[in-house]
Amino acid sequence: MSQALVIMRRELRSYFGSPIAYVFGALFLAVQLWLVTFTTFKHGAIANMQAFFQAFLPWTFMVFVSALTMRLWAEERKLGTLELLMTFPVRARELIAGKFLAVLAYLAVVMLLTLGFPITLAIYGKLDWGPVLCAYLASMLLAGAFTAVGMFFSSITRDQIIALLATLVTLMLLLIIGHPMITELMAAALPRWLVEGIAGLSPSPYFSSIARGVLDTGDLVYYVCFTGFFLYLNALVLHGRRLKG
Amino acid sequence: MITVENLHKTYGLTRALHGISFKVQKGDVVGFLGPNGAGKSTTMKILTGYLLPTAGKASIDGLDVVEHSLEVRRRIGYLPESTPLYTEMLVRDYLAFVAEIRGVPGRRLTAAVERVVSLCGLQRVIGKNIVELSKGFKQRVGLAQAMVHEPDVLILDEPTSGLDPNQIVEVRKLIQQLAEQHTVVLSTHYLQEVDAVATRVVIVNRGEIVADDTKDQLLSKASTHAIRARVKGPKANILSQLGELMPGRRVDVMWSEGEYHDLRVHVTTDLRDKTVPEALADLMVKNGWAIAELGREQVTLEDVFRSLTATTEGGVA
Repeated sequence: MSQALVIMRRELRSYFGSPIAYVFGALFLAVQLWLVTFTTFKHGAIANMQAFFQAFLPWTFMVFVSALTMRLWAEERKLGTLELLMTFPVRARELIAGKFLAVLAYLAVVMLLTLGFPITLAIYGKLDWGPVLCAYLASMLLAGAFTAVGMFFSSITRDQIIALLATLVTLMLLLIIGHPMITELMAAALPRWLVEGIAGLSPSPYFSSIARGVLDTGDLVYYVCFTGFFLYLNALVLHGRRLKG
Repeated sequence: MITVENLHKTYGLTRALHGISFKVQKGDVVGFLGPNGAGKSTTMKILTGYLLPTAGKASIDGLDVVEHSLEVRRRIGYLPESTPLYTEMLVRDYLAFVAEIRGVPGRRLTAAVERVVSLCGLQRVIGKNIVELSKGFKQRVGLAQAMVHEPDVLILDEPTSGLDPNQIVEVRKLIQQLAEQHTVVLSTHYLQEVDAVATRVVIVNRGEIVADDTKDQLLSKASTHAIRARVKGPKANILSQLGELMPGRRVDVMWSEGEYHDLRVHVTTDLRDKTVPEALADLMVKNGWAIAELGREQVTLEDVFRSLTATTEGGVA
């Protein structure tokens, strides 16, 4: 697995070697904090981070992860470096793990930078840290799931814009079908089991439940399966390239 | 060292390789020659483990390229066609990355990078971004990454394509140096390149091997030779008399200006043909036509190549 770390380091270096990482990080923090400041830092408001996580984070992640993952394979294909990469003595799963972990590590750094927010809350109010930490965990799980989707779409095209759009649309659909507003609308017209089945595909309800501070094995299993499924598809695409050329 | 047996590769409906077999001994420098789309790159991609063959076997050091793919890849240095590089990286970082991913241990990393930097003459550009480099330097970076882990086998797909003549000479020199320590398989469009570096030539056409021999053997086997003569005399007369004298031979008029004509008489290498120049000279003297030049045309690899791949002429330098 050490080869995966070599891949990860190269990817991280290419993020941090260009302004992308900093611009993205700054934008992410700005957007997320700007959205939240109006809802949370109010006189008499409850000191929690539900708005930060529940209302906005999945949507900001949707945009940022799509943009971060679009180049992962598409650029390698366009440059032709994929061919070289696949002739290094590295297993496909190590390549995939390396790229996946690089995005996750980057997002973890950005999320660490948001810790100033709960710390401020804890200073000026009475903050319950349990749900906050759970929400951070939920965020990383969500980031992993989104990254896996983005990597898959990046692997099937050499055009980064197509990868970006396909990821955006897919993630948006996934978020929408799990949104309480939509599930209520669907419940009016469709049988309950179908609505639950559709919403069950979405990462939203699992994210919400962990982010509220309820750590349930089922939710974790969902993320492992979801992420694993898309990473596996990614491996199939890479294998397909060795057959087709 | 390298054994390829009856290799087939089909892309959809296109047959890229149709039963290719050859062997490469340790220390050989084998030049793969063929028109575009002949199957050179496909063969190399299979050897390096990038592509899976449709049928047939290939092995390096007795290790099957499909079953023991990782082991095989460890023994190979590969420069793909058009030299793909991570353009946003520094030369130094890139070479260190390749060395690391190729399994060079950490303590030997710096030494390994330094070795290829000096071997490929990259000292001046080591701190530069790859995107800033000239094509010639990029090619050298490509070669450097291919051998940073000191592989037994170097596989170079068109290592000099797209370079200017000076760069080509430099890269060829470099390959000649490498050939002293490595087994090299390289593909090229350029016949001079095979002439300059290879000890053996494999000519591929339409997914099949049409010749596999040492350079000298190929030249001596070449089926067409020619006698060249520059003659002063009436053209129609010369041609008709030549036709009578040597029935069945192809006589081309290559060039004419006034009374001077360059003739090219095709001959085979058998003994009877030794008399062709004499007969030609006799004829000229008898008719009182002046001979400005008479000689045997040098057979080049190019002639061999053309005669073997006559149906597809494209891509020959």
